[in-house]
Amino acid sequence: MTTAPVVSSPAMDIAGQPPAIELVNAARWYGNVVAVNDITFSLGPGITGLLGPNGAGKTTLLHMLAGFLAPSAGTVRVLGLNPSRDPSVYRRIGLVPERESVYGFLTGFEYVRFNARLQGMRDADAASRAAIERVGLQDAADRAIGTYSKGMRQRAKVAGALVHDPQVLLLDEPFNGMDPRQRLAMMDLLGEMAAAGRTILFSSHILEEVGRIGTEILVMVAGRLAASGDFRAIRALMTDRPHMITIRSSDDRKLATVLITHPAVFAVELQQNALSVRTAHLSAFRRIIAEASQRAGVRLTEVVPADESLESVFDYLVHR
Amino acid sequence: MIHGSPRSPILALPEIFRVTVRQLLGRRRTLLLLLLAALPLLLAVVFRLFDRIDVHRYSNSVFDGVLIAIVLPLTAVLFGTGAFGAELDEGTALYLLAKPLPRWAVVLSKAMAAAALTLLLTVGSILAGALVEVIPAGEAGVRATEAYVGATVVGGLCYVAVFVAVSMFTRRALVIGIGYTLVWEGLLSSMLPGIANLSIRQYALGAGDWFVQLGREPARLPPETAVLLSIVVVVVALALATWRLMRFELSGGTD
Amino acid sequence: MSAGNRVAASSPAGSIYDLGYRHYEGKRHGRWFAAWSLYVDSLRGIWGFGRPMSAKAAPFILAGLYALPAVIVLAFSSTISKSIATGETNPLDLPNYANYFGGIGTFIVLFLVAQAPEVVCRDQRYLVLPLYFTRAMGRLDYAMARLLSLATALFVVLMVPVIALFIGDILMSADAFKAIGNEWPKALPTIPSNLLIAASMASIALALSSYSPRRAYAAVGLLAYFLLVEFVPLVIYGIGHEAGAKWVDYLPLITPITGLSRANDWFFGTPIPSAFPSSIGADAYILAALAGTLLFTGILMWRYRRMPV
Repeated sequence: MTTAPVVSSPAMDIAGQPPAIELVNAARWYGNVVAVNDITFSLGPGITGLLGPNGAGKTTLLHMLAGFLAPSAGTVRVLGLNPSRDPSVYRRIGLVPERESVYGFLTGFEYVRFNARLQGMRDADAASRAAIERVGLQDAADRAIGTYSKGMRQRAKVAGALVHDPQVLLLDEPFNGMDPRQRLAMMDLLGEMAAAGRTILFSSHILEEVGRIGTEILVMVAGRLAASGDFRAIRALMTDRPHMITIRSSDDRKLATVLITHPAVFAVELQQNALSVRTAHLSAFRRIIAEASQRAGVRLTEVVPADESLESVFDYLVHR
Repeated sequence: MIHGSPRSPILALPEIFRVTVRQLLGRRRTLLLLLLAALPLLLAVVFRLFDRIDVHRYSNSVFDGVLIAIVLPLTAVLFGTGAFGAELDEGTALYLLAKPLPRWAVVLSKAMAAAALTLLLTVGSILAGALVEVIPAGEAGVRATEAYVGATVVGGLCYVAVFVAVSMFTRRALVIGIGYTLVWEGLLSSMLPGIANLSIRQYALGAGDWFVQLGREPARLPPETAVLLSIVVVVVALALATWRLMRFELSGGTD
Repeated sequence: MSAGNRVAASSPAGSIYDLGYRHYEGKRHGRWFAAWSLYVDSLRGIWGFGRPMSAKAAPFILAGLYALPAVIVLAFSSTISKSIATGETNPLDLPNYANYFGGIGTFIVLFLVAQAPEVVCRDQRYLVLPLYFTRAMGRLDYAMARLLSLATALFVVLMVPVIALFIGDILMSADAFKAIGNEWPKALPTIPSNLLIAASMASIALALSSYSPRRAYAAVGLLAYFLLVEFVPLVIYGIGHEAGAKWVDYLPLITPITGLSRANDWFFGTPIPSAFPSSIGADAYILAALAGTLLFTGILMWRYRRMPV
């Protein structure tokens, strides 16, 4: 297993400003246990998913970005500032932690307003109302948070985190406890914010959430960064693992005999009513398939990459 | 979506104060403390039942023995350790810390909330008892009341500051506070007079002497020393608490 | 389908395999064994055995402090016996069986304030009571086992200084064997007296602690009780006595430490100090202590009977 030389996501610098989030060789250990191991990446506006199995170090990383953990080594910079030393950075970042507890005796509105006031906002009431509406909690805003369901509490936390319109938003497993409809609403909200130029980093171990919301991902495994970037691009980089493509055509058998002669094709498997092709060179294959089917006189009905899902990428990275 | 430019965040402190007060006024805790605070009044009534208006006796046994020795430290322990209680127990500290606020300000507002409630209860308790039993005795009674109110204020501020600080260093702050009250201030002070310099109770009583010599056995600490030491204690305690809050780290949990 | 699977159930369409989980076919002990196990476990927990070092600190330190005067007498027994012989020290000033508890009872209170919540609060906080109540042992058995364990622990704490004083007295006398013969009957009343103290204070501590799942609040409530029910009645008694009221004579009966010290007077035959009402004899204090024990045990049982789980 090679240590991943990280491919940085393109840091979309806005006229020379520092990237919104930047880590350089950041590491964090507790005694013998290394929770975060030599991580380097930088992020700009847009949504990035932080993916990893439990225990990979996602929460630790987020806490480092939020300034609650000083790095044992390396540097962590958010909006150019060191979050663990400089409380003024909090004016421009919002944090939605995983642990559920909030002040249960406050109503949703009071809680969001508490956050707004502590941010020093001039019109805390109006900002709170707006934030509550954005997450869809208007109806329950005047009930105590202790009476909320888990999903509602999550939304209250998100409202509290974005009431001061932060430039950077850090969310730790934000979709926990939300039903599918709430999840979609939240994803839309995050999407809007990203489109408006905010930098959003959220962690999750649920692949379909990450896959749906955006394509930029960071994958953490056992404290290290295993991959970063667009997951399809990552897939293309996984050259030591042949791509698998499923093809349906009018005559699979004939197509198979033609395809197998091509050096780009690794293996061909005839299944019930489909053809499974393994190739090491996806781009080369893309070029030959049309030509091959024409030569064979076969009509193609379906050509689908069978393992380009985030799942398979993740699976590959975790088990490398 | 920004509503106006942000003003100085220091003005956010009253909000922390307010929320902490609400936090501290949980049902059972308040009930217990109200009962405690009602005792001097009850005892004053008992005194009157026996037709006794005895400033000296009442001050010694009730103000000294019940209020300063028992009710004040217990109230301060409960409110002082409770100030950061929820944050430390349940991990809600994030919401306070991820804000552009200086840490000392956070500590100060929380400690003030605890102190305010403590003083409200204890001073109120003194006044209630005094009105029934001591003030009708005239000038002496009024002076005694002033003295004990002063003692309570000084003692209350010290206790709360110390307990807030201790609660940030250990989860067993409550038991330690109790041990301190009973053992250190109770038993040892009577056995070893030198301890008076390190006993908050003695600071409180010493400060009370500022107003009137209450006729206790050799006043252990002259008033000026008592007040000075109290100020030192409060400042050091709050400084320690601030330092600890700055070092506050959240682990990654189970991730 | 791998061959060689043991089959637990099978039909043409599918099978369930036997994974080799073993069933317990041995003897199942009943209620008393369960209660006994809880008692032992509870007792160990009070002393911190089976828990990290920090859990041992409080009980051992407090028990040690309680025994300290006796141990000091023991350690310096030769010096002390010499100074008694020269007349420097009056033997009545030393701690002895009769006055020991009254003198340093505060540490017993501290021990209880520290440990009683440990006994009953955790199970409530972590909501594991149903695990106990749905087994052979019932609610009251649970409460009783917990109570007996605390009382036992307290009894041990109370007896340690007795043993130290006993040994000290023997070392201080010229003839060891004769001394043992002499000391023995003097020390004997400590056993019933300490049993009463242990039962009485443990029942109060546990009954009050059981009302809060949070250890800290239970501790504060317990402390408040011991401090206030100790001093407030005495204050009222003081005032009322001067005023000539008779009913206040009954007040010292409800104080925990003072009341039990007076009960000790009955066991050891010492006279009641003049500060206390002469109309109330030492036997009344014993009855009061017993009644209190029954009352608080009843409260404890009631609490567990009605505890929502």
